[in-house]
Amino acid sequence: MSALAAQQRTLAALLRRGSSIADDAEASALATGNARLTGAAQVEIYREQFFLRHVDALREDFGAVAHLIGAEAFEALARAYLATHPPRTFSLRDLGAELPAFIGEPRARDLARVEWAFVEAFDAPSLPALDASDLATVTEAEWPALRLALQPCVRLLSIAYPAHDYRASVRRSEAPPPPAPRASFVAIYRGPDSLHGLDLTPAAYALLAQLAAGTPLGEACELASCVSPADFAVDLAGWFRQWTTLGLFSLNAPRQASRTSSGGS
Amino acid sequence: MDWFEVISENFMVAGGRPHETLARLQDSYAVVPHGVSLAVGSVEPLDEEHLRQLRALCDRIDPPWVSDHLCWGRAPGVHLHDLLPLPYTREAIDHVVERVKRVQGTLERPFALENVSTYMAYRDSTMQEWEFVAEIAERADCGLLLDCNNAYVSARNHDGDAARHIDAMPADRVVQIHLAGHTDKGAYLLDTHADHVCEDVWDLYRRSLARCGPVSTLVEWDDAIPSWDVLAAEAQRARAERAAVLAQVIP
Repeated sequence: MSALAAQQRTLAALLRRGSSIADDAEASALATGNARLTGAAQVEIYREQFFLRHVDALREDFGAVAHLIGAEAFEALARAYLATHPPRTFSLRDLGAELPAFIGEPRARDLARVEWAFVEAFDAPSLPALDASDLATVTEAEWPALRLALQPCVRLLSIAYPAHDYRASVRRSEAPPPPAPRASFVAIYRGPDSLHGLDLTPAAYALLAQLAAGTPLGEACELASCVSPADFAVDLAGWFRQWTTLGLFSLNAPRQASRTSSGGS
Repeated sequence: MDWFEVISENFMVAGGRPHETLARLQDSYAVVPHGVSLAVGSVEPLDEEHLRQLRALCDRIDPPWVSDHLCWGRAPGVHLHDLLPLPYTREAIDHVVERVKRVQGTLERPFALENVSTYMAYRDSTMQEWEFVAEIAERADCGLLLDCNNAYVSARNHDGDAARHIDAMPADRVVQIHLAGHTDKGAYLLDTHADHVCEDVWDLYRRSLARCGPVSTLVEWDDAIPSWDVLAAEAQRARAERAAVLAQVIP
């Protein structure tokens, strides 16, 4: 191994240490120090910055989790996470991808899932949106086989706590009480000017989840209607009006589905 | 404002709001991507996916040049997301020169390296930072982004002479100048981009302009961001300082 490679391996390990290296012999062997700082204390500056930078990045993406569990607990959580999930990609944007799964406590985990969905919705690509006029070209016979694709920014979550409401409250600088258990369903998406969370009924969630999985509309409706038959019959048309108005579907899917359908598949 | 610099990696994403924002900015201003994660000095192989996405970003916005830092930041299994200094050695020069040539070959547009603020000095270093930077620029045939604040911070942290750094830069390779504020931590200065440019750095700026001529200047203020008026006033001062120096050195 070259001297440069050895130095970088040693430094990378030192900078990820969970405690101070200001008296570390390896760090001291690398840096000269000066009249104000020993060599090891110079390297310690970089170790401190490693944790400051990455804990801050996680706090920025998971601010509601930090609010829920408190600053001290969040710092401990972030440091434990970094110890087992070191940053591996060139972008800090990816740092928190595994944090929801890392959190054991269900309420904080649900909240982390919601917050990560917002991160993903922020920079997911946009496809041309499908609107009501696009659907007008679909014949009645084609409807059951129609496949509707969600915009890449849409994230559907089924969670045991109303974490989306809690996050919204925290972002309004309120001090909400910790959310009590309540089955919740939410679609997180990017609108023209900001990110949004749309509360869904269980049947609406089931329908969108089936469509997202590529299930044809007819079959998706049958499966979703089993969740809540009464609500489903009443709300179906209204849901589609709302979802197309919000731009949750992308444009090209129904035409592709029509072609697939007419091809006999 | 005349132009903007964006952190490359913030826009090397699939799409969404970053792409929309960048497109709006481009409608009115020249935009230059400035990277923080290429880790051109790392011993780890260059991140081909990073380069591919950076090339795609450049193809999208067609900047006059693209820049990143003369540092390392990747090691096996970890990206440290820091601008870590290199030892000023012949081995490091050879390593960086080869990597910069590969980066330029991929990007196919002018590429500039920025001097970083440093908080440690390697026992292995065998030359001054300015000798290290200048030789890499010459041998790799790349541009330089001269950060006056970084030169000042590093000089203060290592009891060096920032003016000598400025004077040693190959002037014809400097394509851009950075100005920024730093934070005095007592035993060292920390490059925070969270304050006004200090008077000593304005001195270095004037010195740089006198040597390098009419190169583009950017004020970095991306933490503890002040009101637009304060930020614009800082940029205006840079514009005025630049005009005054250039009026003297360019007949």
